[in-house]
Amino acid sequence: MKMYKSTSNGHFRIRSFCSPEEIRTYTFNDQFGTHAHYKSLYTKRESLEKNASEPDANVTLALTDNDEIIGFGVLIYPEPDERWTRLGSRIMMEVKAIEVSRARRSLGVARSIVKMLLSHPQIEEKIVYMVGYSWTWDLDGTKKSTQQYRRMLIRLFEPFGFLEYQTNELNICLKPENIFMGRVGQNVSKEIQHKFKWLRFGIYS
Amino acid sequence: MRYPKEVVLKNKKEAVIRPLETEDESKLRSFYAAIPEKDRWYIRYDVTNPLVIKKWIDAIGTGTIYAIVAVVNEKIVAHASLHMREFGSTQHVGRLRIMVMPEFRHQRLGTWMLLDLIQLAMDKGLNDLRADFVVGVEDAAIDAAYKLDFFKSAVLKEYVKSPRGIRYDLQIMIKRLHRSYGDF
Repeated sequence: MKMYKSTSNGHFRIRSFCSPEEIRTYTFNDQFGTHAHYKSLYTKRESLEKNASEPDANVTLALTDNDEIIGFGVLIYPEPDERWTRLGSRIMMEVKAIEVSRARRSLGVARSIVKMLLSHPQIEEKIVYMVGYSWTWDLDGTKKSTQQYRRMLIRLFEPFGFLEYQTNELNICLKPENIFMGRVGQNVSKEIQHKFKWLRFGIYS
Repeated sequence: MRYPKEVVLKNKKEAVIRPLETEDESKLRSFYAAIPEKDRWYIRYDVTNPLVIKKWIDAIGTGTIYAIVAVVNEKIVAHASLHMREFGSTQHVGRLRIMVMPEFRHQRLGTWMLLDLIQLAMDKGLNDLRADFVVGVEDAAIDAAYKLDFFKSAVLKEYVKSPRGIRYDLQIMIKRLHRSYGDF
């Protein structure tokens, strides 16, 4: 699927479910790299290719007319050793990454990426979650405080049905500004929802 | 912030954290009535006095006190509050107070509530948080505060007296609320 986004800083097309082969034909904007106080979530295009080859993965890209990747989002299943897999096979999916290159921010590109990420055909059968670790945030590039950045993430995800949830997951608890948000699909059973609540606090059967 | 918040405690009991509401007056009175006298002794106010509870209820929405409660089976089992000053040299400092029913202590409930108030303090743009603890009486709370990055700022030696006249140190703990990583 694809959509077009016209902004004051150019026209972009947003493509979801990009295949590894397709990603290989694009160039990766050089702003996805290491900066003074920030390192991009993904610094190599190959990482996106690898994610795109995973089952049910949705790698969504924002592209210029010159086929340059200026933004990306990744929706995949969590790693097998992560707590969230204990809810059952392929029930929870993670918004593993979302990033827009510094020069193309504040144009609504991220919102379009989230929209396309969630255009997954099984979205209502899944619990989709995102984890915001404050130490991964580009505070320098956005000129935001951790709290402002956190609020920005909430504003980005809330319109798509994500809610902030408490969890005792150790990495998330390390900093109070870290955030865990989830979106429970309409067809997720009450039993799974209940298990999800308990799982957030490390209780699973 | 989004409320109510569901939390599952270490003992697998579920609690709901939400802001204190004006309808909570009698529940809050019942809560403090059930707190052992030896714990109530160290609270700054006589919480058995209905006027004290009423004052807290009346403070809802004033912007200087933000209070949350944890509720289990319609009963308040914990009460925590963030106190802010509107002007002056300490308006950048918030003060935290918390009381948890004995059977809900060591279940991480207090931590969840403090995390919530820390988050709120950051939202309000405060720089520091302060919490005072009686050494030898509130040691579990002191441990919890250390885990939340509070540090010992001062100790007032033998400042507090127990009902039997035994003196205890009062430990003042501070948490800095960092705005960005440049602050670390």
